[in-house]
Amino acid sequence: MKFLIDDVTVYFPYDYIYPEQYEYMVELKRALDARGHCLLEMPTGTGKTVALLSLISSYALARPSPPLKLLYCTRTVHEMEKTLAELRLLHSHLPPTHRSLALGLSSRKNLCVNPIALSSASRDSVDSACRRLTASWVRAAAAEQPPGAVPTCPFFEAYDRAASSGPDAVLLPPGVYTLGDLRALGREKGWCPYFLARQMIRYANVVVYSYQYLLDPKVAGIISREMQRECVVVFDEAHNIDNVCIEALSVSVRRQTLDGATRNLHRMAQEIDRFKATDASRLRAEYNRLVEGLAQRGNLALTDAWLANPALPDDILKEAVPGNIRRAEHFLSVLRRLVQYLKGRLQTENVETERPVDFVASVSSQAGIDQKMLRFCYDRLHSLMLTLEITDTDEFLHIQTICDFATLVGTYMQGFSIIIEPFDERMPHIPDPVLQLSCHDASLAIKPVFDRFQSVIITSGTLSPIDLYPRLLNFNPVISRSFTMSLTRDCICPMVLTRGSDQLPVSTKFDMRSDPGVVRNYGRLLLEMVAAVPDGIVCFFVSYSYMDGIVNSWNEMGILQDVMQHKLVFIETQDVVETTLALDNYRRACDCGRGAVFFSVARGKVAEGIDFDRHYGRLVIMFGVPFQYTLSRILIARLEYLRNTFQIKEGDFLTFDALRQAAQCVGRVIRSKADYGMMIFADKRYSRHDKRSKLPGWILSHLRDAHLNLSTDMALHIAREFLRRMAQPYDKAGTGGRKTLLSQEDLEKMGEGVMDMF
Amino acid sequence: MAVINMAAKYKTTVKEPGTPGVLRMSEDKFIFVPNDPRSAMKLNVDFRNIKGHKFSKDGSKQALLNLTQDSEKGGGYIFEFDNFSDRNVCRDFVGKVLGKFQAMMSSKQNEQLVPEKPAATVHGEQLSTTEMELRMKLLREDSELQKLHKQFVIGGVLTESEFWATRKSLLDDDAQRTAKQRAGFKSAMLADVRPSTDGRTNKVTFSLTPEIIHQIFAEKPAVHRAFLNFVPSKMTEKDFWTKYCRAEYLHRTKNSVAAAAEAAEDEELAVFLKHDEILANEARHKIRRVDPTLDMEADIGDDYIHLPDHGILRDGSKETADAENEFARRTLSQDLNRHAAVVLEGRALDVELGDTRTAAEALARSKQELSTEISDEKTNQERMEKVSRMTEIEDLQAPCSLPFAPLCIKDPREYFDSQQANAFKALGDTGGGITPVDCSLKTEEAYIYLLEQISEVKVRGLNKPVVQPEAALKVLNGLNPYLSSTKYHLGKNPQECVLDRLPNRTKDELMHHWTSIQELLRHFWSSYPVTTAYLYNKVLRLKDAMAQIYHKLQEIKESVQSDFRHQVSLLVQPMLQALDAAFAHYDTEQQKRSVKSGNKPNGFVQ
Repeated sequence: MKFLIDDVTVYFPYDYIYPEQYEYMVELKRALDARGHCLLEMPTGTGKTVALLSLISSYALARPSPPLKLLYCTRTVHEMEKTLAELRLLHSHLPPTHRSLALGLSSRKNLCVNPIALSSASRDSVDSACRRLTASWVRAAAAEQPPGAVPTCPFFEAYDRAASSGPDAVLLPPGVYTLGDLRALGREKGWCPYFLARQMIRYANVVVYSYQYLLDPKVAGIISREMQRECVVVFDEAHNIDNVCIEALSVSVRRQTLDGATRNLHRMAQEIDRFKATDASRLRAEYNRLVEGLAQRGNLALTDAWLANPALPDDILKEAVPGNIRRAEHFLSVLRRLVQYLKGRLQTENVETERPVDFVASVSSQAGIDQKMLRFCYDRLHSLMLTLEITDTDEFLHIQTICDFATLVGTYMQGFSIIIEPFDERMPHIPDPVLQLSCHDASLAIKPVFDRFQSVIITSGTLSPIDLYPRLLNFNPVISRSFTMSLTRDCICPMVLTRGSDQLPVSTKFDMRSDPGVVRNYGRLLLEMVAAVPDGIVCFFVSYSYMDGIVNSWNEMGILQDVMQHKLVFIETQDVVETTLALDNYRRACDCGRGAVFFSVARGKVAEGIDFDRHYGRLVIMFGVPFQYTLSRILIARLEYLRNTFQIKEGDFLTFDALRQAAQCVGRVIRSKADYGMMIFADKRYSRHDKRSKLPGWILSHLRDAHLNLSTDMALHIAREFLRRMAQPYDKAGTGGRKTLLSQEDLEKMGEGVMDMF
Repeated sequence: MAVINMAAKYKTTVKEPGTPGVLRMSEDKFIFVPNDPRSAMKLNVDFRNIKGHKFSKDGSKQALLNLTQDSEKGGGYIFEFDNFSDRNVCRDFVGKVLGKFQAMMSSKQNEQLVPEKPAATVHGEQLSTTEMELRMKLLREDSELQKLHKQFVIGGVLTESEFWATRKSLLDDDAQRTAKQRAGFKSAMLADVRPSTDGRTNKVTFSLTPEIIHQIFAEKPAVHRAFLNFVPSKMTEKDFWTKYCRAEYLHRTKNSVAAAAEAAEDEELAVFLKHDEILANEARHKIRRVDPTLDMEADIGDDYIHLPDHGILRDGSKETADAENEFARRTLSQDLNRHAAVVLEGRALDVELGDTRTAAEALARSKQELSTEISDEKTNQERMEKVSRMTEIEDLQAPCSLPFAPLCIKDPREYFDSQQANAFKALGDTGGGITPVDCSLKTEEAYIYLLEQISEVKVRGLNKPVVQPEAALKVLNGLNPYLSSTKYHLGKNPQECVLDRLPNRTKDELMHHWTSIQELLRHFWSSYPVTTAYLYNKVLRLKDAMAQIYHKLQEIKESVQSDFRHQVSLLVQPMLQALDAAFAHYDTEQQKRSVKSGNKPNGFVQ
C-alpha cells in the first residue's frame, strides 16, 4: 500500500497497517525532519523493523538530495539476515524506477568463497588464510615470480582487476543482497564477495551490519570511516546498547595472553634480526617515516587494513611517535618491560581495584614507560607488523591485545577502572588471574556516532524506563516515545506466579534457589504446562549454572522424564554450534506437531535475538529474576560510577537491568497481532510493585491484578482458558471504536481529518 | 497345535503322594494314563469343563499344576511334575487352550441370548479363534457396530456370517494396519541407563534391552562404530557392554579423575568416555544447512569483533566455562539435545531388534543412504523460501486464497440443468403448488417487452408502488429469518448441523434407524436375484424388519414436536423413500414369481 505522511509518500509492503506502526512512522519522520536523534520503544510483535525500513526508504526517495543513506545495525548475523529478508519484501513494493542497493556486511568467515581459506576450520584461520593470500607484499611477490609459485586468491585477483578500471565496473545492480546472495554472486562472477561488499558499502543506500562496525573504534576506524554525515543510523533491539558500548572499550589480560605476548615478542625479535641481516633499509625507512610523524603508512592497500586504533577518533594523538620507541628494538624492549610488569601484577593474591591514573603512575615508576609511550603502543605495533610483513596475524593477537590495553589505559583517565582478580569469585578453587580494564561510561563509545551522523535512531521492544537511556548514553533525543499496543483481542497473557502447587513461595533468590522444594515446584509448573500447552514452550533461567543445576535435579527427581512424555527437550549450551542445531531441531519439532520445550538462559545468545513466534512459542516461562551477579567487582565499580556521575541508585539500576532482560525474554513470543502467547514470570519477587513497574508498558497493561499472585494450579487454569479463547475465530480488523488494522482508505481518511484540524 | 505327552503324578489333594503316569494333552481334552494299568485313576476330561488353572511358583517345593473345575469350590485335577520346565510346558499349553475356550465362550454367550439359532447351522461355518477374537475386538471397540450386531444377528434377522460378510474389508484392514505401523523412538531417554544397586553388596547392575541398545547406537555413533569394530573380532558382545556400562558408571559418578585413569589404561574404555568426534563432524556438516535466521554460529569469529580478551571477561552477566577437561565435557544438556534430535529424526530401519549385530549393521547402512541422498541445492532453495515466508506478517497481508482443486464439470449446461430439474421435481413433490408455465418466449420478444417496461418506468417513475415499501420490508424481514435459518443453514455450516437442534433422543433414534436401514438395505439388495430358498427366507426376514422400522419412522415423524416436524420429515424422507423402493422391488418380484409359478402360491418352499 502507499500513503502520505505529510509530504512523503510512504511505500509499505502490506495491504494493511497497524495504527502503532503508522504512529511510529509519523514520529520517525519528525525526527528525520529535525535531523536529530530519537529513542522509540515499540512492543515486539508490531512490525517495528518493517515500519522503520519502509519509512526511511520512502523518505530517502522523497528527498533525493543530499542522498540519504541508512546504516542499519543489528546485534547478530541472524538478525541481519532477518532484516535483509524484510528489506527484500519492501523492495518488491517500491516503484521500479526507485530501486536502491542494499547489502549486508559481515566478516570474511561468513563471506569468503575461497575453498582454501574456508577449509581452515577455526575462524582466525579464515582471516589469516585470507591475508596470507592477499597481503600486498604477497601479491607483489607473486607478480615477480612465475605464476603458481606464490599462491594467491583467484577471487581477489579477479575482483581487483575488475575494480582497477573504476568503481563502476564492479558496481552491483540495485537490489537486496544477503550474505548468501553475495557469496553466490561471488562464485558466479569469480569475485571476492568480502572485498566487493567492503567496496560496495560506500555506494549502497542501505547497509546492514553489526553494532560493532560503528561502535567499536577498532572496527569503525577501518570500515565505517568513509560514511558521510547524511546517514540515518538505526540501532535495532538496542536495549543492551550500553553494554555493547562498554565492551567496545574494555580489555582483559589473562595469563595466557601474557605468555602468548612473550612468544610474539620473541618471534618479532627474530624477524628484526633477520631483516637487519638481509634488508636493513626497510627498518631505516620505517624509522624515517616515524620521525616525520606518520604512524600509519599513508594509504594502505585494502587487504592490509588491520584493526584500527582502539581509542576514539577524537582522542588519538596527532603527533609524531615519541623518539624512544621509534627504533624497532627499543619498542620491543618497552613491550617486554610492560609484559613483565603486567605479569608481576597478575601474581597478586587479592582483588585490586585501581584508577587508570594510579596505574599509569605505577607503570611509569616501575617499568619506566610514560603515558605518551603507552598511548602510541598500538600504532607503533601496527607499523612494525607491516614493516616485518607478518601475515599470520592470528598468531600475534596476544601482543595486539597488550598494546590495545596500553593505548586505552594511556588515553583515558575518566570512566575506567582497572581490576585485578586472582580467581573468579563464583569458582574460588580455580586460580585464573585476570587484569581487566573496564569502561563504565557507555556514552564514550557512542559519542562519535551521535556527533558524526545526522540522525541516530535507537529502538527496541524494551527501553523502559525510557528516560534512563539518554542519561546512560548522554545525548538529547528530539523525540523519545514509548508506544503501546492496540490489540484486537487479548493475545498476550502475562502472569506472575509466586507460589508452587503446594502454596510455598518460589524464587531464585540466593537463599532459596537450591531449596529442593523450590526446584520441585518449578518442575511441577513445567510439567503441568507441557501437558496443557500445545507446540512450543520456552523456558528462561537466570544463568547457565542455575540451569545446569536445576535440569540435573529434575533429571534425578524424574520430572524431566515426565516432561519428555509430552514434549521433546532441547537445551541451550555454551557451545553455539550445538545451540544452533538444538534450535533448528526445536523448530522442526514444533513444525511437525511433536511439540518441544527449549531451555534457555536470560542474557544468553538465544534470548538476544531468536524469535519464538507463533507455534514456536505459545508459552514463555521466566524462572526467576535475571539479576546480574551482584558481587562482581566490575559491576560494583560500574554501579559506583553511575551513582557518582548520573545519580542512578544501585538498586534501581540492577532492577532495571534485570527487568529489561526478563521483558526481552518474554517479548520474543509474539510477532503479530494474529499471534498469541502466554508469559509466566515465576518468582515471588515479581509481585512487588518496585520490580514489576519496571516492565515495559505494553506488558504491564495486560497484566491484570488477578494474575499477580498465582499458584501453579491457578496458572494452569488460566492457561487453559486462554488457549481455548485464542482458538476461536476472530475479526482481524478489530471491532467497536478502535481499529487495530488500518487499510489504505482508513489512512486517507485519517489524513483528511488531520487536514481539517489545521 | 500339537499334542503334549508328559510324565506326571496325578493327585486329588496336594498332600497325597499321587499316582505316577503320563499326562496327554490335546486341544480339546486331556487324558491321564497311570503307569500302573490296574489303577483306577484313569482320566479323560474335556477342557470345556475346566474353568481355570493354578500352579506353584518356580523354585518352590513341588512343581504343581492344578486344573480347576470350578473356581469357587476349588476342587480340580492336580498334577505334580518332575521338574519345573516340564510343568511350564504344560502350563503354557493349558493357558493357551483355556484362553481360546474362553474367547469362544464369550462369543457364544452373545449368541446364546438368541432364542433360536436359525441359520448358523445352515452354513456350518467353522471359525478360527483368531478370527473370532478379531470380531469380538471390533465389536467391543465400535459401539455402533455392536448395536447393529445385537439388533440383527441376535434379533435373528441376519446370521453371524451374513453380518460379517459385508465387513470383510474391516477385518482385513485391521489386520494390515497393525502390522504396517512403524513405531518411532520412545521419548524417554532409554540410553540414559540407570544403574541399580541391591543395597547389600557393592555390585551395580545395568540392564540393557535391544531397544535400549538400539537407542544407544543411534545417539552415540562412537559406541556404534566401536561395536562394529570390536565385536566379535576383539571381544565378545558381553564384554563390550560391560565395558560400556563401566564407562557410563564412571561418567555418572562424575569421577573425572578415576575416569581419566581408567581411560589411560584401557583404550577401548576411553572410546566411551572421550568426546564423540563423529558427532562433532556431523554437527559441522549440519550447521551449513541451518536456517540463516537462526545461525548463531555465524556470529562467532567475526574477524573484527571477536578478538580474544577484548571486552569484559568477567562481569556480572557472564559466566566462564569450566576448565577444559576432555572427560568432563559431556554434559546432560548435550545428551538431552542429542536424544531429542535422534527422536525427531525417527527410526530409519525396519529390522527386528533381536540381534544386536544386525541392528548395528542396519543402522550403519541407513546412515550411509541418508548422507548421500540429500542434495544441497534443493534444501537451500527451501530454506530461502521458508525465510521469506517467515518474515511476512500474516495479518497485515490481504487474506491469501487457500490452494484448491478447481471443480471440473465436463458439460456445465447439462449439469446445472439437471440440478435445476431435480430441484423443481423436489419442489413439486413436496410443495406441489407450482405448475410449469410455458415460458418459451423468443429473445427479441423478451427484449422488446423489457424495453417497454423500462421506458414506462422512466416516464412514469415508480410513484405508485403496488405495496408500501415499509410493509414490504416488514413482511420480507418476517419471512427471511425462518427461511434463511433452515434453507440457508442446511448443510452450509459444517459446525452447525440440523441434527444438533433436535432433541437428543430423537436424534439418537434417527441416527440409529439410519444405520439400521443402511445395513438392512445392503443385505436386501445383495440377496437379489433370489435363487435359493435360503435367500428367499432371508429376504422375507429382511422385509419384515424393514417394515418394522418403517412404522417406527412414521411414529417418530408424527410424535415429534411441531417445531421440528418439518426438519425431521426432511430427514426421514430419504429413508422412507429408500425403503419404499425396496418394498416396491420386493412386490414386483413377488408378482413376477407368482405369475411364473401360479400353481405354487406360497413360493417354492420345498
